[in-house]
Amino acid sequence: MSGPPTQIDVELRRPGFALEVSAGWHARVAVLFGPSGSGKSTLLECVLGLAPRARARVRLAGEWLEDPARGLRLPPHRRGLGWLPQDPTLFPHLRVAANLAFGRRRAGAEGARWLARAVEVLEIGELLERRVDELSGGERQRVALARALASGPRALLLDEPLSQLDLALRARVLPHLLRVRDELGLPMLVITHDPDEALLLGELVLVLDRGRVVAQGPPREVLWSQAVLPLAESLGLENVFEGVACGAAGEGRVETAQGLRLVVSGSLVPGERVRLGLRAEDVLLALGPPGRLSARNVWPARVVACETRGSDVWVHLDAGEKLMAKLTPAAVQELGLGPGTALHAVVKAQSLRRLG
Amino acid sequence: MAPLLTMEARDAHPQTADRVAGSPTAGPPSQAGGGRLLSAGELGGIVLLTLRVASIATAAAFPPALALGWWLARRDPPARPLWQALIALPMVLPPVAIGLLLLLLLGRRGPLAALWDALGVEIVFTWWAAALAAAVVGFPLLVRGCEQAFAEVSPRYEAVAASLGLTPLRAFWRVTLPMARRGVLYASLLAFTRALGEFGATALVAGILPGRTETLALGIWARVQAGDDRAALLLCAVSFALALAAMLLAEGWLRRRRP
Repeated sequence: MSGPPTQIDVELRRPGFALEVSAGWHARVAVLFGPSGSGKSTLLECVLGLAPRARARVRLAGEWLEDPARGLRLPPHRRGLGWLPQDPTLFPHLRVAANLAFGRRRAGAEGARWLARAVEVLEIGELLERRVDELSGGERQRVALARALASGPRALLLDEPLSQLDLALRARVLPHLLRVRDELGLPMLVITHDPDEALLLGELVLVLDRGRVVAQGPPREVLWSQAVLPLAESLGLENVFEGVACGAAGEGRVETAQGLRLVVSGSLVPGERVRLGLRAEDVLLALGPPGRLSARNVWPARVVACETRGSDVWVHLDAGEKLMAKLTPAAVQELGLGPGTALHAVVKAQSLRRLG
Repeated sequence: MAPLLTMEARDAHPQTADRVAGSPTAGPPSQAGGGRLLSAGELGGIVLLTLRVASIATAAAFPPALALGWWLARRDPPARPLWQALIALPMVLPPVAIGLLLLLLLGRRGPLAALWDALGVEIVFTWWAAALAAAVVGFPLLVRGCEQAFAEVSPRYEAVAASLGLTPLRAFWRVTLPMARRGVLYASLLAFTRALGEFGATALVAGILPGRTETLALGIWARVQAGDDRAALLLCAVSFALALAAMLLAEGWLRRRRP
């Protein structure tokens, strides 16, 4: 997990907003996570050299890009970074192939190999002669990612690579993203405000809030840390489980490291590692053991805390794994929920979404 | 300054100069109320000269206009409105005033006369002077059009091009300019048609020398002065056809390339 050092110190003031970040790590794939407006994209622009007013000191995967102490400030075109902006920003006057050829000069002799690899990994061979305005959202995203890869970058900066896509498309692009991460071996800095993605993509997560890093560490620790809890609502934080599939006919079964057993719809290959996402509003709570229910998951759990946010109450539970349920205040009152209450959490198999 | 104008103008504006000199009755050499139509050769010469002057004027104004337009759109210079106003001046000043200033700068009695002599350059009263006058007057249209065209291209595209390793100059040629091409082309067309019809500034610096500096607009003026109404109307019709053809060509091109 350990790689060449990255150090990003950035100070940038704009009217009504200040970005003040000082962070270092050795992970190859780091995720910038936080609510919108927290400064994630601006931080990425500082790394790219696109924020001339920023005071920055940037070392990415061992390479210095900017260091005021040595008077070093590489212009954006010499930083060698593959950037996927939030909006794919394909050049509309060119076909896909011409878009991909843009970074060829920088990629040099290696260019053809990089391009072929990017086209193969992202499965866009059939799109090459298309016009940009004929592409679907997911295709655009893949072409933009391939364009960044084909320039032979020393690192990839991805700004919300999946957020513009609907759920179905997300499921189609995500595997490509994971292939890029796993097969090309590039250092990556990925922005997301989706906890599923943060868990799935990163070895390390930096949580940004209002221009500052409020937490940093391995995803599973950081995303459940106290620093992140106050952000839960703005992030739409969901439950994510990681486990191993075990054999069963007709239904998929997954057991997590903490011993929680989950039943999902559709079959799984026994022994395969899976990640499952569950929305907090899809968790039902029952006092006493519920009988004769269609729901396939009934987990004994204990209330850790109840937290009122807006018109909802977030109930933090311990069911072996940490679990979050979203209820109305009336429901919490009627059930008399409070720290220590023993109950059962009920979840339909269909509510457990396969993430990877 | 007055002698500068009249003495120079006398060579190239015989009729005007006569009037300035106080002989208003001195008529033009043509027949009174006459109807001598232009020969095909004369007409062709006027049209070709007009096209050549307008093309060279537009081509000469194009590179600096492109650079200035980009600078105004992208660099957001301090006091931008002031720059914009200054650049617009040649368009809003009376063209005759522009012509006078050019005459002063380029003429044999102007402050730069020694320079022109040393270089052996003779611009005034040649068709080059006509092209220069047309370029100056069309320049603001071109700058403004380019500025607007560049402003419509999101700087994000240039940022992406930079991230892919393109220098700012290469990004301009391969991204900004191609994306702004419709606006730039339209601005060029406006400047070209403005040059086609340029009269006031041209008349002063280039004179109205048949066969040498006589463009359509100057030709119409000269023939009206000479009382040769039919020839003037014929040149009018040709101007009309030329301008219409230019606009139609451009509109057709714009439509064809519409994404």
